Amino acid sequence: MNSDSPLLVLWDKCCRLMVLALRSLWLHKLRASLSVLGIIIGTAAVISLMAFGEGSMHDALEDIKRQGATNIIVRSIKPPDDGSSQRRSFTVTYGLTYADFERFQMVSSVIGSVPMRIVDPQEIRRMQYMHRGRVVGTTAAYQNINKIQLVMGRFLVDADEEEGDGDDVGMRNVCVLGSDVAEAMFPFESPLGQTVVLNKHLFVVVGVLAERMPTGAVGGSSVSAEEFNNDVYIPLRTCRGRYGERIYIRQSGARSGEQVELHQVTLTVTDMDQVRTTGDAVRDLLERNHLKKDWGVTVPLDRLEAAERQKQRFTVLLVFIASISLFVGGIGIMNIMLATVTERTREIGIRRALGAKRRDITFQFLIEAIVQTSVGGLFGVLLGLGIVYGVPYAAEQFFNSHLPAKLHVLSIFLSLGVSICVGVLFGWYPAQRASRLDPIEALRHE
Amino acid sequence: MSFHNYTPVLSTMPGVVRILDLVKNYELEAVTVRALRGVSLTVEEGDFLALMGPSGSGKSTLLNLLGCLDRPTSGNYYLGEEDVSEMEDDQLSEIRSRYLGFIFQSYNLLAQYTVVENIEVPLLYQDRRLSEETRRRCVELAELVGLGDRLDHRPMQLSGGQQQRVAIARALVNDPHLILADEPTGNLDSRTSDEIMQLLAKLNQAGKTIIMVTHETDIAAWARRVVRMRDGHIESDEPNPHPNGHIALVTRH
Repeated sequence: MNSDSPLLVLWDKCCRLMVLALRSLWLHKLRASLSVLGIIIGTAAVISLMAFGEGSMHDALEDIKRQGATNIIVRSIKPPDDGSSQRRSFTVTYGLTYADFERFQMVSSVIGSVPMRIVDPQEIRRMQYMHRGRVVGTTAAYQNINKIQLVMGRFLVDADEEEGDGDDVGMRNVCVLGSDVAEAMFPFESPLGQTVVLNKHLFVVVGVLAERMPTGAVGGSSVSAEEFNNDVYIPLRTCRGRYGERIYIRQSGARSGEQVELHQVTLTVTDMDQVRTTGDAVRDLLERNHLKKDWGVTVPLDRLEAAERQKQRFTVLLVFIASISLFVGGIGIMNIMLATVTERTREIGIRRALGAKRRDITFQFLIEAIVQTSVGGLFGVLLGLGIVYGVPYAAEQFFNSHLPAKLHVLSIFLSLGVSICVGVLFGWYPAQRASRLDPIEALRHE
Repeated sequence: MSFHNYTPVLSTMPGVVRILDLVKNYELEAVTVRALRGVSLTVEEGDFLALMGPSGSGKSTLLNLLGCLDRPTSGNYYLGEEDVSEMEDDQLSEIRSRYLGFIFQSYNLLAQYTVVENIEVPLLYQDRRLSEETRRRCVELAELVGLGDRLDHRPMQLSGGQQQRVAIARALVNDPHLILADEPTGNLDSRTSDEIMQLLAKLNQAGKTIIMVTHETDIAAWARRVVRMRDGHIESDEPNPHPNGHIALVTRH
């Protein structure tokens, strides 16, 4: 009597049954593909949804990181009309002041600060070229805090703020162009050392920024996105001198003006742990010095954490959707397996007569279901990979839109594992049913 | 007791098959069908028994019981020295895969398997690995029944006679103590029937114990012993002094 180790015997049986299952799948290609369609779609959905979710979340996180996790952004916000609307034509003065900027320096954990004056879309001209862009008056520190990359020339330097050795009124008329502006102004030549016209004054181009992704708009409505590519940077001092502090807007016939000293101050804090407390300190400082709520404090770190929380919620939702589609797929498998059991009753009878035990029959049909779902899962993974790599490519090619997708390697194993589990779960009942058939009845079955 | 390594001890001593007062009742909705009403029978090793009788006589029920596919309502069935009538389902499967060979009227081959693979099936359930050796044995058996050149054919590609030969090879692969044949020639023409019966007679002469159900007298004429049944009883049990194949083989050599 030949007696091998039971484990080896089991493995041998497994291999045989898998080959048999694959063979019968191949024999009934159409039926098999229809029955595992649910699994295929489910798996592909898990992989692609996870990839797109991960991709967009990744983009959002990158975006926040670009703003700087150790940064605090303080902005001027036009306060709501407080019933003094009769003074329609008067100039509204609000926002951060130079005094505020000085006060921020006194907070001990602040190691860097950048003041910004933002002059809303201005015409930038050079010969026949014209472009509308944001003019930003700022200082050299802006480069570090916003991690500005230059393709040529230099960014603003501290010396640009100094008086003298500039034009007739001692201002330095230099500017650094964003990539889009540079492209529009100087399509065929290097902009360095050339001049552009801003508000009737000539500015010498000293540097050009590398193209970069815009940072997303910050939660609150008052805080707009930073674009970079459409910006022109000039020294803060020059900006004050050339544009002044009042900006007049013509609005439905009425002229209204506003006077803002600084539109934004970006503060850098020593480390991430300090960001919250410093943010509170800054708020406190502003509350004490401003009568109106004409300022806003944004801490990107808060957004980072909110985004991470959202990512978790998103993952839970995805798992839920995936489990629904795989559940539906599993029902498809169960349905076809039940039909198969009926169809193969005679085969079951033959096998039973030739010595198959109940558990052999259970095992056979279970393996068959698992093979079906895992083959379906494999095709689903392929389809999912196709979607993850194909759709963003197509979107870029045909619609010129950026669709972030980041393949999650874990999702492949997860969805394959779940497919196999679905096979076990939904193959169990039909397999049990097959094994319970009476061999004599089964043999008589036509 | 683990069923896994369960190997019943069978002696091939007096009587491969001994059944004592076997009763089988089928409980239908309202009535109880008494298929076997106390049947006793002993089959010696090397016997070739033809079981005859009109339909409803209980011969199929008896064959199912002999084949360990069913359990009797009462009575005992000793296969060798084992009392099979009390066994669990798994133990019966074990008995079937080790000690019994089946030949059916409609061949009952597995359509998705080739000839060799079909012959191999009973070995699949013997809790051992299939080796090159077992595969060789299957090929030898296929050659024995005259299908050495059709090893990789599927049942659909074979004639009825050829399919039945595969079934016979399959019934031999586990070297059974008892071969059970249920109208093995029922679906075949007379010439093919003859060939199949010659094969069975040859096996019997080589020492195989065969019990065959048939309702054709000229098929029963191949057996050494003819048992006739009626209404769940054994009506007659007579030896056949001149079985067909025996003479044929004797005259041939």
